[in-house]
Amino acid sequence: MEPSSPNNPLGSNNNRATEFHPFSTSTPHMLAFHLSWLSLFSCFFSTFSIPPLLPIIRQSLNLSAADVGAAGTAAFVSSIFSRLAMGPACDLVGPRVASATLSILTAPIVLATAFISSPTSFILTRFLVGFCLANFVANQFWMSSLFSNSVVGLVNGFAAGWGSMGAGFAQLIMPLLFSLVKSFNVPENNAWRVVFVVPATFQAITAVLVLVYGQELPRENHGDSKRVCDNKPKESLLEVVFNGLTNYRGWILCLTYGFCFGVEMTMDNIIAQYFYYTFGVKLEVAGIIAACFGWTNCFARPIGGVISDQMAKWFGIRGRLWGLWVVQTVAGLLCVLMGRVESLGGSIAVMCVFSVFVQASSGLTFGIVPFISNRSLGVISGMTGSGGTVGAVVTQMLLFSGDKFSTQTSISMMGLMMIVCSLPISLIYFPRWGGMFCAPYSFHQTSTDEEDYRLLV
Amino acid sequence: MAARSLLLGLIVVLGCFSETCLATISFSSLQRTLVVTASHPQRLLKAGEDKITVTWGLNQTFPTGTDSAYKTIKVQLCYAPISQVDRAWRKTEDHLSKDKTCQFKVVKRPYTTTNQTSEWTIERDVPAATYFVRAYALDAEDKEVAYGQNTDAKKTTNLFEIQAITGRHASLDIASVCFSAFSIVALMGFFFAEKRKGRKAQQ
Repeated sequence: MEPSSPNNPLGSNNNRATEFHPFSTSTPHMLAFHLSWLSLFSCFFSTFSIPPLLPIIRQSLNLSAADVGAAGTAAFVSSIFSRLAMGPACDLVGPRVASATLSILTAPIVLATAFISSPTSFILTRFLVGFCLANFVANQFWMSSLFSNSVVGLVNGFAAGWGSMGAGFAQLIMPLLFSLVKSFNVPENNAWRVVFVVPATFQAITAVLVLVYGQELPRENHGDSKRVCDNKPKESLLEVVFNGLTNYRGWILCLTYGFCFGVEMTMDNIIAQYFYYTFGVKLEVAGIIAACFGWTNCFARPIGGVISDQMAKWFGIRGRLWGLWVVQTVAGLLCVLMGRVESLGGSIAVMCVFSVFVQASSGLTFGIVPFISNRSLGVISGMTGSGGTVGAVVTQMLLFSGDKFSTQTSISMMGLMMIVCSLPISLIYFPRWGGMFCAPYSFHQTSTDEEDYRLLV
Repeated sequence: MAARSLLLGLIVVLGCFSETCLATISFSSLQRTLVVTASHPQRLLKAGEDKITVTWGLNQTFPTGTDSAYKTIKVQLCYAPISQVDRAWRKTEDHLSKDKTCQFKVVKRPYTTTNQTSEWTIERDVPAATYFVRAYALDAEDKEVAYGQNTDAKKTTNLFEIQAITGRHASLDIASVCFSAFSIVALMGFFFAEKRKGRKAQQ
């Protein structure tokens, strides 16, 4: 067996792919990649299909600003719990079944917008639809199972980045669909309910495709592998969960992810209104700017993954940690700057560069997650993923509700919080590979399978 | 990507310049020289069905020649303060170009010295809220020069409520229920098929 290393902790690739070819659909690795990112794309599309139509919906339901804010927060609050639960679910039944079940169960809720007739039902619907964002955890878990550690950062980055583009896509396509339906002489109040057929159907279709064509592990599916006798120690779900929850590295990444992905989510919510109210641009233009912020995910998050993998080739895990800290701190500085810029052009320019850095730091975070624990990968992914949405809720409630601070001051303060909350990355330490400032403690080249399996330390 | 963001920045900046070129008229600079009344059935009005009759004309207590600049009258449906609470998208601003109080056009007609009347069927897209009616007098360059409204300065009297059409439709409700049932059945079917496949593989 090959000696283990930061790029190859199990000492062999376990039939996981070592190369990434984004334009191929070869089974099982690349096909699973495409199914998974499409499924995540549909979930983001569904969750963020409501905000672009808010100007119409709020008139139709007579919502107040407080109702709109509560609904936005509710969409994220539900995903905190669902992401935490998705971790153990992936460990238990596998990401394919877990993600497809969640998608199929939440798709009807998207269509249930047909029933909304009051602010309360609106908030409840957004809360229930928000559960499907847990598919992010399943997506990252699935990719980490199929791709070897030398490309896992890159693949996780592409899968999450392309999936997150669903939010930007929704900002662009939902108003167009609404105009299309209205052109058939449908009253506005009916039209906005009808257009949700599109995200609901798309989500259900991707879920079915995942179930039928997806494959979880390089050789077989999760359920099948359980029947094969292997040398993995038998463990209960509770042990797996406890194992993950007691790993301090998972909690540190939970905090830092809250201040890169969480900040990105909050920005998605406030950016259009910021440009509209502060600089007086037209609402359509503000919407285009908001969509641009989301669409940089196409390349920015994968770049984070690329940087992570490259730093690992040069410096091992220490490189991945340093990469994350540097990129996230620079993103925080750009966020502070964005709140200070007075001109529209300068603000857009800083926003574009900021979006690249903040999304790259999300990609860099998930370049480290697979190394924290192998058996509790799902739980760690779930903790980190839900940390992202906790960060979104916290920043939104602290800084962007009410009139305490002007939006510009809030944005700068958010940048400061990002810088401060990136500092704990220096506390992450792997005895075998070291941390940001400390060298590795032991230089074991051999270890038992069981040791490798429980924790990569 | 850099070229695209530069182009977007240019378009947005140019758009901004074109907006600032328009003169900003403030509401507080307008004189209330028009008398406006609105009559309607004394109950909750229904969007798309009920009619409002609006009458407007110059207040005769003003000296002759006040209306020399008036060329057009624009009558609008405006939100009452109670419907603007906690709703920044309906906020009253002094600068008319930024003001969002009056968002629905009732009628726009050339100005005449005699009183005029118009009967307006409430459009079906008008949302549920409390409203009043305001008329702006526009000059030859379509700029507001005077106004009148059917309520007092504090916008507390003569307000009326409009009830919007609900937007829910039986066909949509049925489609939602069918879709949900189909999804659950499909999921159960899949689990059943997987279990059967597993049992066959073990045999």
